[in-house]
Amino acid sequence: MPPEALISDEAFIKGCAAIGAGLAVGLAGIGAGAGESGIGAAAVGAIAEDRGFLGLGLLFTVIPETIVIFGLVISFILMFAYG
Amino acid sequence: MLKPEKMVKVSLVGPIDYFEKVSDTLYELNLLHIERPVEDEYFKLGQPFEKASWISRNLVQLRSILSYLKLDPTKFIPRRKYRIEEITAELDKKLEEYRNEIGVRIDRIKSANERIRSLEDELRIIEPLKVLGIPPRLLKDYKTIRAFVGFIKGDPTERIREVTADFEVFIKEFEKEYITAVFVRKELEEEVFRVLQEFGFREITVPDIEDYDERIKEIQEEITRLRDEITKLESEIEEVKSKEAELMLAVEEYLSMELEKSELPLESLVSRYAFIIVGYVPEKNFDEFKSRIEKETDGRVVVEKIGGGSSNKEEFNPPTKLKNPKGIRNYEILSTTYAIPKYHEIDPTVIMAAFFTFFFGLMLGDVGYGLLILILSLYLKRVFKTEGWQRLLNIGIYCGISSIVFGFIYGEYFGPFVVPGIEKPAEAHFAGDALYALYAFNHHHPIFDRVEEFGVKALLFITLAIGMFKMLWAFALGFRNVYVEHGFKEAMLEKGCWFIGVLGLVCIILGFSYNLGIFTSPPPDGFGRILPDNLYVFGPYTVEQAREVPLPIPVLVKGWRVGVNVFYLAALPLIVIWFIIFLKAEIPKMGAMGVIMGVELLTWFGQIMSYARLLAIGLSSVYIAFVINYLGLKMGTPPGIAILPLAIIIMLIGHTVNLLLGILDPGLQSLRLHYVEYFTKFFEGGGILYKPFGRIKRFLE
Repeated sequence: MPPEALISDEAFIKGCAAIGAGLAVGLAGIGAGAGESGIGAAAVGAIAEDRGFLGLGLLFTVIPETIVIFGLVISFILMFAYG
Repeated sequence: MLKPEKMVKVSLVGPIDYFEKVSDTLYELNLLHIERPVEDEYFKLGQPFEKASWISRNLVQLRSILSYLKLDPTKFIPRRKYRIEEITAELDKKLEEYRNEIGVRIDRIKSANERIRSLEDELRIIEPLKVLGIPPRLLKDYKTIRAFVGFIKGDPTERIREVTADFEVFIKEFEKEYITAVFVRKELEEEVFRVLQEFGFREITVPDIEDYDERIKEIQEEITRLRDEITKLESEIEEVKSKEAELMLAVEEYLSMELEKSELPLESLVSRYAFIIVGYVPEKNFDEFKSRIEKETDGRVVVEKIGGGSSNKEEFNPPTKLKNPKGIRNYEILSTTYAIPKYHEIDPTVIMAAFFTFFFGLMLGDVGYGLLILILSLYLKRVFKTEGWQRLLNIGIYCGISSIVFGFIYGEYFGPFVVPGIEKPAEAHFAGDALYALYAFNHHHPIFDRVEEFGVKALLFITLAIGMFKMLWAFALGFRNVYVEHGFKEAMLEKGCWFIGVLGLVCIILGFSYNLGIFTSPPPDGFGRILPDNLYVFGPYTVEQAREVPLPIPVLVKGWRVGVNVFYLAALPLIVIWFIIFLKAEIPKMGAMGVIMGVELLTWFGQIMSYARLLAIGLSSVYIAFVINYLGLKMGTPPGIAILPLAIIIMLIGHTVNLLLGILDPGLQSLRLHYVEYFTKFFEGGGILYKPFGRIKRFLE
């Protein structure tokens, strides 16, 4: 005989969705951070050589940020669908 | 606006006697972009006019003086301008004066500095010797004894004793090392030296002086005297600088102009009796250009249009002169950072100007921050006068205004005043009640509430819609650019195919959104009501039945039905057409591998998604602002009245940081949305910027 559920199915799904949404943003953030670290280091090096590179360097650095946006969109969809 | 200025290719041919006259006239007209010529059998590149060497000699001297005075012609803002006659009248006298007044003084400063350096070096040797406490004359070598004097890392006494018993060591600590004097017999010189080297011995030359203290005093006196002299010379130079700065820069400008004029032959072809210059002139200025040159030379120099239009494409490679209205010209620094458009390409500055400002406001959207950006830009405009800064700050002004407009729509003034989960506006915002009253016209709600769940959902869809729209637009522009250069078939295969593919993707996204209920669910009560409901709601579709037909995927959760709707139905043929055209384009190039390249369609999907950052960046700044306000209010209002000052500090620092983030992030992300997601579809760049022969005078009238 299955043990009696402590929470309802609906609450369980909601909870899982919330965790999933958090993971989506958090893991994507870690990934993007790892990507940006290399670019950022190189960009700072280039800027040290030539100040004129500042704008372009900053721009290159934010390119991997798209990944976080994907994570965020996923988390939004999860929250809209289940939250 | 979207097209660069129209150019014509012209040639100037005339007798060589008129060359200097033509050079003067061209320089004054400041219209001709000269094309670098290629030598042939009869026509060779010319030599600079005779006066060039005299000018360049003087210019080098003057520039070295200017650089010493830190007078940068590009940054200095002149208080008055000079007429050319004023300069030419006393050019020689002034140049002589600068050489004598400033050049000589600079030389004296330099030699004084050198003397100070060598004195300081001497001081660095004398000081440790003084610590050792042996008079200098005793440290010199003797007839039979060798004296080693220098720095050492440790005490060598024990090791020397292994070599000989007949020696004397004096050692004293000096800074992090020791200073030592070792006396040994001349015969043992080499062996002892080897021992000393083990301890990192560095020998110093003992100066020929009598007494340390006396010499140190002498040196210090001389250094002080030299320093005084330098200060005096510098203040004299400074005096001349403050009096003559404008004139000096004007002379520099005059000489540079003359030099550029006299170097024109390097960019033109000459024979024994004639010269040819080839270049580009804006079409609208051609008549003026022609008549002016011919008038100045009594018709002896002939100006003619050559090639041009479609006749000879390879030879016709004009420079790009961007042509934008005044306000939009500011944005050229943003668009040309990516690339300079080719002559035949579309110049995207106008599009960028509109969307950059729009995106910035859409992301930041806060009346308070917007006002601060506006005020800051207006203030900094008075401080930074160079052209680049002025343009950037003008963009700042536009972006500030855009933020204010969106801030009013979002109802944010240093943060939102209506936040879900918080009952009273006064608890969410320090001026909550006032704002609540202000929005009475809209049932006390912002016009569009982006912190409310429906607002987030709607804005997410709106941002994606902007993404889809811009993606399609970019491919359409790309189609146009390829069509102009290579014809319809190429354009269809390269860009048109992706246009159709992305259109299919758009339909899929719309279908998905429809199934999520984005078009059909009305906004909840309390959401902004000033706009008619159907702005958010496209209204029920006649495909209600189609939506009920489930795909063979299990229905996940109530409320999210996976069903076929009209958008999915439209997407199917589009994707099929895209794939067929795509294969037609790729298979001849890549073979069977080409099929796999179809995955690239997913990249475009990712790029559409990427526009969701318009929502995400904004939301993060809203919540930071809210948290700062909330913290401040909780700390500052009773019963916590005692820590009101701390609350104010937190709010000040918090909002400053958020403002900085709010300038940097929306600015960068907005740029990125253009550079990465938009320009790559149609903007190749690689044009040459139009640089006419001549200059805009800054110090001369």
